[in-house]
Amino acid sequence: MRTVRTAALAAVLTLTCRAHTAVAGPVVAADPLGVVATLPAVASPHWVWVNDIVFSHMSDGQALLVDGDSGRFLGMLSTGFGFERVVLAKDGKLIFSPETYFSRGTRGTRTDVVTLYDPSRLSPVGEIAIPPKRSANMPMMADSELTDDGAFLLIYNFTPAQSITVVDTRSRRFAGEIETPGCALAYPTGARSFFSICADGALLDVHLDDAGHVSSRVHTRDMFDVSRDPVTEKGVRLGSRWLFVSYGGTVYSIDITSRGLESGPRWSLLSDAERRQNWRPGGLQQLAVHATSARLYAIMHQGGPETHKDPGKEVWVYDLGRHQRVQRIALRSPAGSIQVTRDDRPLLFAAFIGSTTLEVYDAKTGRYLRSVENVGTTPTLLVTP
Amino acid sequence: MSRFDRWMEESARSMARRTSRRGVLGSLGALLVGVGALPLLPVARGAEKPAKPGKSDADHQDATQDETRCDYWRHCAIDGYLCGCCGGSASACPPGTVQSPVTWVGTCHNPADGIDYVISYNDCCGKSSCGRCLCNRNERDMPLYVPFRSNDYDWCTGSSVANIPYHCSTARVLARAT
Repeated sequence: MRTVRTAALAAVLTLTCRAHTAVAGPVVAADPLGVVATLPAVASPHWVWVNDIVFSHMSDGQALLVDGDSGRFLGMLSTGFGFERVVLAKDGKLIFSPETYFSRGTRGTRTDVVTLYDPSRLSPVGEIAIPPKRSANMPMMADSELTDDGAFLLIYNFTPAQSITVVDTRSRRFAGEIETPGCALAYPTGARSFFSICADGALLDVHLDDAGHVSSRVHTRDMFDVSRDPVTEKGVRLGSRWLFVSYGGTVYSIDITSRGLESGPRWSLLSDAERRQNWRPGGLQQLAVHATSARLYAIMHQGGPETHKDPGKEVWVYDLGRHQRVQRIALRSPAGSIQVTRDDRPLLFAAFIGSTTLEVYDAKTGRYLRSVENVGTTPTLLVTP
Repeated sequence: MSRFDRWMEESARSMARRTSRRGVLGSLGALLVGVGALPLLPVARGAEKPAKPGKSDADHQDATQDETRCDYWRHCAIDGYLCGCCGGSASACPPGTVQSPVTWVGTCHNPADGIDYVISYNDCCGKSSCGRCLCNRNERDMPLYVPFRSNDYDWCTGSSVANIPYHCSTARVLARAT
């Protein structure tokens, strides 16, 4: 048997050598083994992380990185069970990912961690153990956020008791847990502060000390009309102002002031005529802002009062100084999630959880630029550097 | 056709039918206290396709009594995979899963007897997603900051045995609504 195999191998080698000698001109050099691509140390402002809960197989969460300029798929992270989103360090040198694992896949001991990833190699470089309480919910940006100076990572817990896990990113340690009974999610308001939204329409205004423990906690007066026209939890921030939109299209401003959190201007995305035509905002990540041009982007569709999660085929753009619409962008496909890059030549990304195509538009002109196919399974939140 | 394409088409058709009967439900005074079971997939209304030709009113009525259909009367505020399609039923979990004790309660109108019932949407937990008969209806759904009226939570979170792995959702009748 060995003789037969040896003879066969010799024949193959002979043929290979003859084939080589028959080639005239340059030949393709042999490829080395073990080469792994890396990314530039500094992320392009036109990159986007497409976060994916992988709804049909939730133990296999993913974060997928795409270059909006070329449409090139750059790489991905595997991020565990019930994944919500990655949080990018303020200096761009680390990626934080709150993750959940079970010792036997979908059963066994639950372990929650914040995994730290090297943004060039897209590989884990550390992890921080946190209480196994991370909320499992439809992904929202406010599920995990950094304080303004990047010192603390805030993670929403739901067991169903509500609380916030605080992680010190400098020491890379769990700093503590803040109970937030009746109040959900974390919206940063400064280097040592955030608020949660409460079921009664008030806010829980929380300030931290340098160790990440509570230094003050104030339950504000009611800011939103929860019973008549609730705001979604999908707020966006522009400097010292958080913007929330209600199911019916009213924009509520929450201003961060030296006196605390205050209710700011209230205005509508809709004219009376548009309201009569049943236009309304909708989607999972339905708002985006571009800071330098002070523009608000909102996914819009026509539908009844129970369609607040529906995707839309239009993005309406508003001047936040004048509270007036300045543009309507027609999308190629319905979008439930949008994001706008932070630079001066901003891109608008659009995705939908029921599709695997990421669309890219010029955020200033609304011009369609390109589509990137087969990005994930059930894309949820779009996160840009 | 992918599972999601099929789901989107079914959801769109379901929504179209539901929209057309919303007026009827309203006139009957049905109270839909909407809350759901788990991370959900919003309906692709923007990608809505027209209902397939040949669907009659009789088909529509039947769907409200078929526990494997999104239009089933008990599913007025459900969000997730229907346990009736996964080896269980509208009230029982599939084999080997654990029914979460934490629940949210809605009120659905049964067109067969004209009565409103209190419905408890207990999730079945401890395995991966069933993947069959995805259904999302958002009547009276509230944001995450009103937890017990929000269908954006994974309610398996209340199960100390199975924890958060979500499999499918039941829609148990608790009592006649008063």
